[in-house]
Amino acid sequence: MAWSRKSAMFASLSIAMYLLGLVLRNQQLVTVAVVLLSFLTWAALRTAHGDVSSSGRRIEDNQLDEGVQLQNIVAMRKVSTSRVFEDGEIDVVVRLQNRSNIAKVIEVRDRVPEVMRIKKGANYVLMEIGPQRETEISYTIEAPLRGFYTIGPVCIRVQDEFGLFHNEKEIQLYDDYLVFPKMEDIKDAMIKSRVPKIFTGAVAIRNPGEGSNFFNLREYLPGDPMRKVNWKATARQDGKMMVNEFERDAVSDVVLIVDSREVSETGPVSRNSLVFSTRAAASLSQYFLSRRDSVGLVVYGDEIVSVDRDTGKKQLYILLTKLAGAMAKGNTPLKIVTNRIMPHINRGSPIIIMSPLEDDPTIVDAVRDLRSRSFEVTILSPSSLEFEFDARRLDRTGYEVLKTERDIMISELRGLGANVMDWEPDMLLTTALAGARGF
Amino acid sequence: MVEKKGPVDTSHLYEGKVVRSSAPSRKRAAGNIKRDTEIPMDAVPEVFVPSWIETIFGGPIVTKTEFLPPDRMVTSLQIRASISLLILCFLTFMITPVSGTVWFSLSNILGITFLGTIFHLGLIMIGLVGGFYGLFQRDQRALLASYVALMIVTIRFAGSKVEFGLSFMPEGEFSQKLLLILYAIILVMYIEVSSGIIRFSMLDTSIRKGEVYVMNVNKITNRYGRALTVTPVVAGLVASLTLFINLIVPFFVGIFDPVSANRLRESVELTSVYGVALGTMLVFIVIAAMFAINLPLRIQQYMESRN
Repeated sequence: MAWSRKSAMFASLSIAMYLLGLVLRNQQLVTVAVVLLSFLTWAALRTAHGDVSSSGRRIEDNQLDEGVQLQNIVAMRKVSTSRVFEDGEIDVVVRLQNRSNIAKVIEVRDRVPEVMRIKKGANYVLMEIGPQRETEISYTIEAPLRGFYTIGPVCIRVQDEFGLFHNEKEIQLYDDYLVFPKMEDIKDAMIKSRVPKIFTGAVAIRNPGEGSNFFNLREYLPGDPMRKVNWKATARQDGKMMVNEFERDAVSDVVLIVDSREVSETGPVSRNSLVFSTRAAASLSQYFLSRRDSVGLVVYGDEIVSVDRDTGKKQLYILLTKLAGAMAKGNTPLKIVTNRIMPHINRGSPIIIMSPLEDDPTIVDAVRDLRSRSFEVTILSPSSLEFEFDARRLDRTGYEVLKTERDIMISELRGLGANVMDWEPDMLLTTALAGARGF
Repeated sequence: MVEKKGPVDTSHLYEGKVVRSSAPSRKRAAGNIKRDTEIPMDAVPEVFVPSWIETIFGGPIVTKTEFLPPDRMVTSLQIRASISLLILCFLTFMITPVSGTVWFSLSNILGITFLGTIFHLGLIMIGLVGGFYGLFQRDQRALLASYVALMIVTIRFAGSKVEFGLSFMPEGEFSQKLLLILYAIILVMYIEVSSGIIRFSMLDTSIRKGEVYVMNVNKITNRYGRALTVTPVVAGLVASLTLFINLIVPFFVGIFDPVSANRLRESVELTSVYGVALGTMLVFIVIAAMFAINLPLRIQQYMESRN
């Protein structure tokens, strides 16, 4: 049984009044003190409890801290899904049973991670639950941020009518769920682009497109380049112009590198470089995997976490899980990451780096190394300056200075042949990608 | 559904965070900021600086909660509390004479006797006006001031004997003690009901804001209403047992020895405040014994298992 502030105040007040009454021989004070004490005692009696007996031992071994009044309350929870994308919703139903023979007024709070929003219903309910009855609480939570989360425990509290004493019980009932980074559909944007293929690689797939291996012959269509015309075939077809079609060379390996250093979380919680980077990585993973490309992921912060290149839906799930758990920690330089992964990637494979390009003096060296080994380097750089400026954490002068520094860095990287996109807040990923050279 | 020992999640990454500190590279900007550059308002963290009173108590004395307009339950509690406040102030005025108080002694020393009376009445008025303001504005500070004023006014040296402020008050011991019990019950009920107004206002505000959902709200409020009726009766009974110990003890002693019982009945000590102390001790020894043998638990277990 726990005391509230009110009961503690009442108890101290009554003792003080009682003693003062005796000293001043004032029956009025003593009477008030006695009534207050009786009031408290009655409330304590009504908040029946499994308290420690005078011998210091509990009356029954199975008696828990919360007392007998809460022992017959049982909770069960059902969640609609254990995996959801950012801004997705999860329906939660908590079933409460009162297995005792008396009605109880209980407060129930199903603990939800603070970052989650209750969209419908309530996870905090005050109710009277009848004897041998059960009831259901249902609510919907919205998951605005990626990560691993847990719903629970279910906290139940019973208290007297005056709020003087209470007993609490935590039902150790947990449900884990995973919030994946939000994905943007970038397929349309790619189809609309002038060059449908993004990168050329080593593995050919059986589709016509840009490539080096002969695939088929077809009639000339306006817009086909003249160098594709097969003159011998044209001569055989009585003047009908024929062109060569080539088998599309698909990307063999795409490596996504996500910067999750401490600096990448600069800015508001929901709008920072890491949030944007993980969303971009998720969207790109989905896009490349849907093209049957092989996608690998490297997340670096205080350590380097990598996922081997693979294809298929299972790989997408693995990548999304890693991205969901990316935490902003540490300050590993990019150079260490590139040195470690370079021997394991085929030459010419595209590497997409998502980084705010801050606080790392090795960025230029790392990109130079990659370029010198013929890797196609694309850098998507969510600008943490913009996030901070938008959040009014940075004044105009500081912003201008840092912006200039950043522009110089980007120019330098572009000079090395990397496709760099300065990704500003509110810019869609498709727009950002379209802005990068080669998309 | 998984049952396990403890939560493992990444929610701690976000909890309590609004804006992270600037990146270390921002330090470079420091050299470019002029003296007249304004510090962005958001960059200044909100710091709660407690007042000197709050530092004594170690935190905010009362919470600064915004309430929505009172609902029916709160209004009815306001009416109940107002009635008890009126009766309480009237009873305080009747049964608490100015004699024996510090302000009475001080005004006598100063030679301005009416000053003590004015101060005395002033305290009752603070209790009354502050109480009404606190009840209807749901201002916890005003309520606190009202409680304090109505308690301070009772602190006086009374010389063991029950003494009333007005001459027409009953002289009989029985009626005097009953009046005292009534006064004490009303004081405690006033404190309880007025704090109930704040509690139910908070609850109502939370309900209307969707922070909490209440099932069977009528049953819950009815329970509170019932408790407000039963508890004063119980408290009154216990107080009566302690105050009338000078009648109860001689009654039991009288079974064995009528002479001793008669002596006890006429004993000044037993009728004085020390008799009340003895009564309190006896009554609370019984209550303590009940708790020592875990009677509440046994009652509860019996009720839980009863068919």
